[in-house]
Amino acid sequence: MPINLEDEILQDFLVEAGEILEALNEQLVELEKTPQDSELLNAIFRGFHTVKGGASFLALTNLVDVCHHSEDIFNLLRNQKISLNGEMMDVFLKVLDEVNSMFNEIKSGVDPVAVPAELMQQIVAMQKPVVSTKKARQAKVTRQQKTGDQQKKTIKSASEQFLTSTADITDEEFEVLLDNLHGAGVAPKAIKAPDDPANNDANKPVSDEEFAKLISKLDGDDKQSVAAASAETRSASAQDSITEDEFEALLDQLHGKGKAPDKVALPAQARVEAVRPAAPVASKAASNTPLAARREFTENKGETTVRVDTSRLNEIMNLVGELVLTRNRLNTLRQTFEDQRVHKAISTLDLVTADLQNAVMKTRMQPVKKVFGRFPRVVRDLARSLNKEIELELRGEETDLDKNLVEALADPLVHLVRNSVDHGIELPEIREKAGKDRQGKVVLAAEQKGDHIILTISDDGAGMDPEVLRRKAIEKGLIDMVAASRLDDKGCFDLIFLPGLTTKEQLSSVSGRGVGMDVVKTRIMQLNGQVEINSVLGKGTELHIKVPLTLAILPTLMLQLGTRKFALPLSNVSEIFELSAKKINVVDGREVILNRGRASPLFYLRKWLLKSNEAYTELQRDPHVVMVHAGNGLVGFVVDQVIGQEEVVIKPLDRLLQGLPGMAGSTITGDGHIALILDIPGLINAYS
Amino acid sequence: MSQDLGKQLQYVTFTLNKEKYGINVLQVQEVLREVEVSPVPGAPVFILGIINLRGNVVSVIDARTRFGIAAKESDDKTRIIVINLQQMMIGILVDSVAEVMNIKPGEIEAAPNAGQSTTSKYIQGLVSKDDTILILVDLDKLINFDTRSDKFAR
Repeated sequence: MPINLEDEILQDFLVEAGEILEALNEQLVELEKTPQDSELLNAIFRGFHTVKGGASFLALTNLVDVCHHSEDIFNLLRNQKISLNGEMMDVFLKVLDEVNSMFNEIKSGVDPVAVPAELMQQIVAMQKPVVSTKKARQAKVTRQQKTGDQQKKTIKSASEQFLTSTADITDEEFEVLLDNLHGAGVAPKAIKAPDDPANNDANKPVSDEEFAKLISKLDGDDKQSVAAASAETRSASAQDSITEDEFEALLDQLHGKGKAPDKVALPAQARVEAVRPAAPVASKAASNTPLAARREFTENKGETTVRVDTSRLNEIMNLVGELVLTRNRLNTLRQTFEDQRVHKAISTLDLVTADLQNAVMKTRMQPVKKVFGRFPRVVRDLARSLNKEIELELRGEETDLDKNLVEALADPLVHLVRNSVDHGIELPEIREKAGKDRQGKVVLAAEQKGDHIILTISDDGAGMDPEVLRRKAIEKGLIDMVAASRLDDKGCFDLIFLPGLTTKEQLSSVSGRGVGMDVVKTRIMQLNGQVEINSVLGKGTELHIKVPLTLAILPTLMLQLGTRKFALPLSNVSEIFELSAKKINVVDGREVILNRGRASPLFYLRKWLLKSNEAYTELQRDPHVVMVHAGNGLVGFVVDQVIGQEEVVIKPLDRLLQGLPGMAGSTITGDGHIALILDIPGLINAYS
Repeated sequence: MSQDLGKQLQYVTFTLNKEKYGINVLQVQEVLREVEVSPVPGAPVFILGIINLRGNVVSVIDARTRFGIAAKESDDKTRIIVINLQQMMIGILVDSVAEVMNIKPGEIEAAPNAGQSTTSKYIQGLVSKDDTILILVDLDKLINFDTRSDKFAR
């Protein structure tokens, strides 16, 4: 079937399944640690089931196949018919990779290619070693034949007859039944399926899910399904040995049925509306038991969220940006007003704008979990291929971060975590000799501190030797002997951010090519962030990344050069002082300034940023020096005047100017003029 | 609107060094009296800088430089034509803006394929009317985003 990306149902599926697949990735890795966790097994089962349901509705048969078989196995797993082993884990992770790549194919509008036959065989083979399932399967077949016959009769009686026919079911079968019912509850897509499952089910074995679909279909057609369900409750109570869990599942089912007719009646696209339960029926169910009431409460809570297109949020953010600029402007004009009332009004506007800005920013926040979620898998795969034993601990996953930042941080973080696993953690034998646990530990943590987020990647591995780094850097000619001898330990660690430095003697596919750390640093600098390394030889390494909460609004230091204004990201600024107060020396033909016992290169921004006819006029007023962080040290910029701190809204340069070295964007200042926002690393690269 | 006028096309005309040029009216968003243009360090020479257009930052191109004509001090006739190109606003600084002219497609002659002059690259066609020649500008070629790679070479 050709894939129509315009299709709303497909879009819904992509969003929903995308989230499920992301979760599956984490859940599978988690499962490896706790293979008996039945909740986790259920979650994975449901995950595959839901994806399959959606895929089958969209006739993505290849995707359905693989999900279907995976789901079957997890069904067996959670019913403890088979048990999980390492090989199966590997197969499942492979399966998930395949499903993910299929998913990406769908996203780009291509009908997904089938899973390699070999892998498919592996999946199917996993179901075989269990003999006891045979009986269950036979039971299934008889049941299915019965259902097939009954299709000719009325649907209502079919459901009742089926329920009575299963009055004397075994525990095992009862559980299957419950699963079916449960499946019906969680597979809204299946309910939407327009084709009558009764037609094509007749001549092929009915699987659990198809059966589930049938049941939900019955529910949909028959408003009296609640009655049917209570009949079932009767049959269940005849069973005597019903556990609390099972009872709860039944309640779930009752509740689900309350909703089902409503869902079917609505057009398939009306997803949001479909979620709204059919109030009268649901409330009837609710009055039956306090448990159901509680459940309904949680569901109502779920409705308070709305999916919003990010472009719409960006639009709002832009508008708020305009408002911030107008506020800045009013603040500047404030002095010209005599009237106290105007002052008051502007103060109020000031406060409200700040609050609004915060509130809108929050809508763009996403938990850092979005990035962290991929790491269990990354670490697991890497540790396996390197024969290391590594535990990954995630902390502060719920910390919120601007959506753009979340995306921008993903790559650098992957790189750093891979580094920790590859360079940091030693092989188990070496760790034992050093008196450590065989299993290494990598911790990935996030926390908010003021208007910044601190991300920490730490490991209890080998640590870094400052002397080795120093030697390597000299060997590769990255720094000279004199400079190297002056570095303290921290300065040595910072050397790893130089392009071309690697401490690994041998290259591997994982890391060690000496590219990467400098890219990581550049990326983080672009986000107006900072990186700091601490390491103790033999104990481990700790990396701190500090980034601002949002990218849209930037605290800057406003500067004046001639008649023009420029903005420096405030996070880069370390110190400001008058030029005349310090001594300028010339070293190697370059001017350096001595400050706090350190010599830093000194540059005249005027020469760089003003046109030649403006640049060489006499400096007016008292020129100031702004010390900024650049690369691994400080650099001094001479400016005509420091205007002060200002929060600005970044206006990206248009396509004609984008990528211009040294320019991070532009902004409109409080007085309505344009100021260019400088990108310090880029500026130094381009002009020095 | 243009259908009411038959097949007539409308062109906004402007002057550069006493020559008359035309831009399709559908691509013109507005005409500004000259506002303060902030130069952008390191930008290509033909980009004068950026302006603040009601909160939007818009790049301004100097038409004279782009056409290889010597620069001229701006005066009270100087205008910036803001055009909309590929969903992006761009300003073009011109000597003056004259009028909107109705032109039938049949009146447009192909541009003479003569020579390598800077101007001819950006010409869509010529129209002779009332003893003057109107040069129709091909905006897509005038403002080419694809020359990026060498644009910032220093």
